[in-house]
Amino acid sequence: MLTIAIPKGGLLPEAIALLQQVGLDFSAFLDKKNRQLQITDPTGTARAMLVRTHDVPVYVEYGQAQLGFAGYDVLREKKPDVANLLDLGFGGCRLSVAVPKASPYKNPRQLPPNCRVASKFVNCAKDYFRDLDLPIEVIPLHGSVELGPITGMSEAIVDLVSTGNTLRENNLEEVEVLFHSTVRLIAHPTSYRANRHNMLDWVQKLEQIL
Amino acid sequence: MIHQPPAGARDLLPLEVAQKAWINDNLQRVFQQWGYQRIVTSTLEWLETLTAGGAVDRTKVIQLQTAESQALGLRPELTASIARAAVTRMAENTFPQRLCYRANVFRHPPRGSHGKQMEFYQAGVELLFAAGIVADAEILLLLADSLDALGLEDWQLILGEAALGRSLLDPFPEPVRETVRHCVANLDRVGLQELPLDEDLKAYALDIFDLRGEPETILARVSQFDLGPEAQEIVANLKALFALLAGSTQKQLPIILDLTLIQTFDYYTGIVFEVVNFANHQSYILGQGGRYDQLLGLYHPQRENHPGIGFCLNIEELHTCLLTSPQLPKQLAGSAWLVIATEPNAQQQVFHYAQTLRQGDEMVRVEVELGGRSPAEIYAYARSSHITHLAWIDPSGEPKLETL
Repeated sequence: MLTIAIPKGGLLPEAIALLQQVGLDFSAFLDKKNRQLQITDPTGTARAMLVRTHDVPVYVEYGQAQLGFAGYDVLREKKPDVANLLDLGFGGCRLSVAVPKASPYKNPRQLPPNCRVASKFVNCAKDYFRDLDLPIEVIPLHGSVELGPITGMSEAIVDLVSTGNTLRENNLEEVEVLFHSTVRLIAHPTSYRANRHNMLDWVQKLEQIL
Repeated sequence: MIHQPPAGARDLLPLEVAQKAWINDNLQRVFQQWGYQRIVTSTLEWLETLTAGGAVDRTKVIQLQTAESQALGLRPELTASIARAAVTRMAENTFPQRLCYRANVFRHPPRGSHGKQMEFYQAGVELLFAAGIVADAEILLLLADSLDALGLEDWQLILGEAALGRSLLDPFPEPVRETVRHCVANLDRVGLQELPLDEDLKAYALDIFDLRGEPETILARVSQFDLGPEAQEIVANLKALFALLAGSTQKQLPIILDLTLIQTFDYYTGIVFEVVNFANHQSYILGQGGRYDQLLGLYHPQRENHPGIGFCLNIEELHTCLLTSPQLPKQLAGSAWLVIATEPNAQQQVFHYAQTLRQGDEMVRVEVELGGRSPAEIYAYARSSHITHLAWIDPSGEPKLETL
């Protein structure tokens, strides 16, 4: 049976809405009392797995899920071996460099060599500063990355920004955008080539409603 | 010191060895029936040989530290070694050459891979000095027959054409062509859509991306493109190949034609293919192969080029897929005996009797009780070792037989 990996958290409601539009109803995941991590839609057509955003590409790469909804930011960070099929157009945000409002460095190029930059996106941060030919030390954090500069642990952060409210409320300002991100439809390459579970049909259906 | 195999190496225990031997024996039997003869090449080769003129990724090859001035490596696959052997030491032989192998190969795990296995077992064939669709058809039919012999039914062949895949990209201007190639090979459709191409070229790029499906349909579709003479010839040959295959077997080959099957590192110049199987919510690449008409020239002393085509099957993946199949032996073959001396001076009779049993049956496994155990301990040992027959020998040589 076709299996789709969908992300927990803020992206879940729109992911479910999109799938409902093509006839797959996984709204059971929205029920606060639901503890199941894998469910089948009411018509018994397809399965969905509820997964952390950074884990979606893992299940798709290994083929346990033939399709998945993953943010472009996660794909840039983890570089999984998956087919990148559609831009689903939701979950818009950007990965940016941010510094304290009081910081003397208003441009990432001004940051002193070997200074510390805190980020959940270790690879993206490293790649970005390598391209600037600026050596820095990346401090990996899992969340609340704004605390890095607040506590003085790092000069700057590389973090996802959508409204900018969290940065503002923590006295940080955005100084450069690395890239913009939206949620993408990814697929397991071999399953896609073999059109496993007739997945091409579903990809086309999703493309039509975008 | 903890004596475990190093990360990425494994020991194979008896039953797994027996099962993999069953797989290998069956494959070699089929290869032999089709006229292929087994060749054994060296595990150690010059790195230059193994990288096949840049077609094999140097970083994948496990290199050895030796006193030699040139770098040595462990073979990551067999085709380059067999090509080398065929055009150097076997140059006097008549053409075509049908060669097969069963061997271990070694590779560094790919960057970012989650597994660390470095040693793999493969079985495969090379058909050398033969060009054309009849040779192509033989290889594909042999592949199907090999999988059939193992009792594998649920597999598919994803088949592309290296030269056609490349020539379809010719309309793209030089700098962007490489990016298009990368997007197509890595199935990055969004990447293609974001490229700075004009309307027509972009639509063409997306059309190429979808060149995948039932062979007749895809060949009809690609025939509509504005193809150069070389590409047209390739398409005509593919049509002829599929027509030839269709009428040549009872069961149709489950082929998906996928013209986006382009690799970055390879020596393939013609058809290229992967065998896939889906079981237990996983996908397995059971084997891969293709035509390589420029490879033999690399090793030929006068740089003469000769065609070649072959495939190799991945024993680990085959084994995993066959674990649930009734065909794979679930225990060691043949009956197991334990011959026991009832008294110390019956030991000579025990050795005689044991040997008689061995001479009577090729598949039998006869163990001799080494002494110092009580009957209860002997019964316990026999049961846990799956020994089904006991022979108690007394000093007169009289056997008392028991079946457990």
